[in-house]
Amino acid sequence: MKKECIAMLLAGGQGSRLYVLTSDVAKPAVPFGGKYRIIDFPLSNCTNAGIDTVGVLTQYKPLELNSYIGSGQPWDLDRLDGGVHILPPYMQEGEKGSWYKGTANAIYQNIGFVDMYDPEYVVILSGDHIYKMDYSKMVEAHKAAGAACTISVMEVPWDEASRFGIMAVDGNDNIVEFQEKPKQPKSNLASMGIYVFTWQKLREYLISDENDPASSNDFGKNIIPNMLNAGEVMFAYRFDGYWKDVGTLESLWDANMDMLSRGDLDLLESSWPIYARLPLKPPAFIGAGALVEHSVVTQGCDVQGTVKNSVLSHSVVIEEGAEVLYSVLMPGVTVKKGASVRYAILGENVQVEAGAKIGESPENYDPDKWGITVLGPGASIAADQVVTPKTMLNRELKEVSR
Amino acid sequence: MNGLHGIIFSLEKLSGLRELTDRRMPGSVPFAGRYRMIDFILSSMVNAGIADVGVVLQGNYQGLLGHLGSGRDWDLSRKHGGLKLLPPFSQKEIRGRIEALAGVRTYLEGIRQSHVVLADSDLIINIPLDDVYQRHLASGADITAVCTGNTDGSPEDATYFKLDKDGRVTQTFTALRNTEGCHRALEIYILSKQLLLDLVDECISLDHYSLRGAVLQAKADTLRIHGYVWDSYAAQIRTVKEYYDRSMELMNYAIRREVFHPQRPIHTKERNDASTYIDPDGNCLNSIIADGCTIEGSVENSILFRGVSVARGAQVKNCILMQDAAVGRDAVLHYVVTDKNVEILESRTLIGSDGYPMVIAKGSKV
Repeated sequence: MKKECIAMLLAGGQGSRLYVLTSDVAKPAVPFGGKYRIIDFPLSNCTNAGIDTVGVLTQYKPLELNSYIGSGQPWDLDRLDGGVHILPPYMQEGEKGSWYKGTANAIYQNIGFVDMYDPEYVVILSGDHIYKMDYSKMVEAHKAAGAACTISVMEVPWDEASRFGIMAVDGNDNIVEFQEKPKQPKSNLASMGIYVFTWQKLREYLISDENDPASSNDFGKNIIPNMLNAGEVMFAYRFDGYWKDVGTLESLWDANMDMLSRGDLDLLESSWPIYARLPLKPPAFIGAGALVEHSVVTQGCDVQGTVKNSVLSHSVVIEEGAEVLYSVLMPGVTVKKGASVRYAILGENVQVEAGAKIGESPENYDPDKWGITVLGPGASIAADQVVTPKTMLNRELKEVSR
Repeated sequence: MNGLHGIIFSLEKLSGLRELTDRRMPGSVPFAGRYRMIDFILSSMVNAGIADVGVVLQGNYQGLLGHLGSGRDWDLSRKHGGLKLLPPFSQKEIRGRIEALAGVRTYLEGIRQSHVVLADSDLIINIPLDDVYQRHLASGADITAVCTGNTDGSPEDATYFKLDKDGRVTQTFTALRNTEGCHRALEIYILSKQLLLDLVDECISLDHYSLRGAVLQAKADTLRIHGYVWDSYAAQIRTVKEYYDRSMELMNYAIRREVFHPQRPIHTKERNDASTYIDPDGNCLNSIIADGCTIEGSVENSILFRGVSVARGAQVKNCILMQDAAVGRDAVLHYVVTDKNVEILESRTLIGSDGYPMVIAKGSKV
């Protein structure tokens, strides 16, 4: 059945800058904010915006992500016509076929999928961002501007503009120039990597880009500049809500702390709900000797110790006398009696035995040597062991450098 | 898939639950922070591999319908079978479970399995029914009746069994004064589909409607009725005080572990709440807190259901606050049970006692 608009969600990247957190899973499957996983944000945004057909392009270690998404039912994307579809790379006749070579190539290889729905517009999303956005408004703006491509942009501080893809615009917010990480930015409107394309136009550019052997087959590096240079109408859609790329350990930790402050990203505010798939767990229990402040707890948690400024995912156990400060604990983490966890990210099912000391607060440490401590999923830290700030350990407890 | 079909009775009964069962059936009463009472027996059935469950409805079953829906949250929304909601077949009064079963006789005939497990919707339990079923088959009994040796605090309308040394039920009592040496029925029965149909037909032809009277008591000699003794957690809640005590008992780790057995999780209708947030001024001790709550005040020894907010300066102690309660600034609540969507305004003070907790009805603004 023809759809006016479908979404294609790029979830194939390795998320290499999350190191041990993505050693077993793709980045969009990484837990966030207690109850969620990163991919819940773009998926829920689609559902709430009325987009009922979403292709999720997976590639790197997709098993957990694929099982998590399943038929799409938690996001109301289990539909008779449309719904969520996992799109991995695939073989063709003559044993031809390749891994996705770039973001544009991933869409190119799935032209057949998009054509099935014959949409007017395609929304290109990435599975790396934490934000609430009504894509239908962006599509409306795209139509009103008569654009071939609409790019969602955010104002960034001028002194940071050189870190982003910058869009210089005219008085109608039409894009006149695109600068990738410019030393002299002509505007402070940064691209958020969220695009709306008129499908027939994008389709042509994808095909000609694929036929260009010199291309990196990337939206930001190739498709967008090509369209701009060919004189296509490109519109900058301004977004001023909370948006964060959680591609690095620091930004992941920051975004979790932002969520705690319930400012622009208030997940408890239910007019634009974020959906998730969760295992069946009883409600959290907070013990008689517990102290929980400025923190988030989720189903299945059992807290008997101290938790401050931290995010606890489901099934986290904090024993009596244990202390967790300014940390992000993913599902199934256990922190035993007298252990302390400070300014750390603990991956799924990490076990911290009694008396161990993970990380430290920056005020108690040499600022040149301080950083967030990260323990990869499944790591088990022995009793009384000390893991110094900025250390990152994998499941085998080997140190991983950044 | 095993040979068992589940039937849950959600019938009107004399209830001391007052406001809690005003406009809802006992099986719909919220319990343990995020469940309805029916979730426990329904989950026990699903966890035992039962794929088909019929819920016999009577009375004000609107809420139960809304809660159960298609059965998807219990994995019972299936192509064949799954959850079937059975509203009353006729306007006639249903005087007992036999009459209720007679009212759904066509459904009973259509049961694909060889055996049926009957249970009440408001028994709070987490029992491995597959084990009860295996023992039933091995024992060769006609009916297996699940019962408990723990007769303290039994409901007034309880059924009691006397078991012989082989576990066979030799006598069935009701309204017993001295329960020593007896077992209390938990009203879970396993029998074959054929026997169920035969008993229903026979009883109806004689205008008998009580499962207890016409079957358990009358046929103790002609039928082999075996007791399956379950001495772990089981709650049949009939009064507000019991509701309160049984809820508070959940603060105890051992009890929680029995009710929320890791291998037999309790399913319930999913809501999309975010994780619960506890403010720097918030204080939370010895409490069960569901998702979606915002705690800026003080909560002690209480159960907060999904979506409850406790504003700054408020003091909530020994309370049970059901879904979406909003407790205003500086309000003080001790020994209070609030039903869904109750709003307690700023600085209000509500004090009940542990012998008589104060119940605030659904939707009230106090």
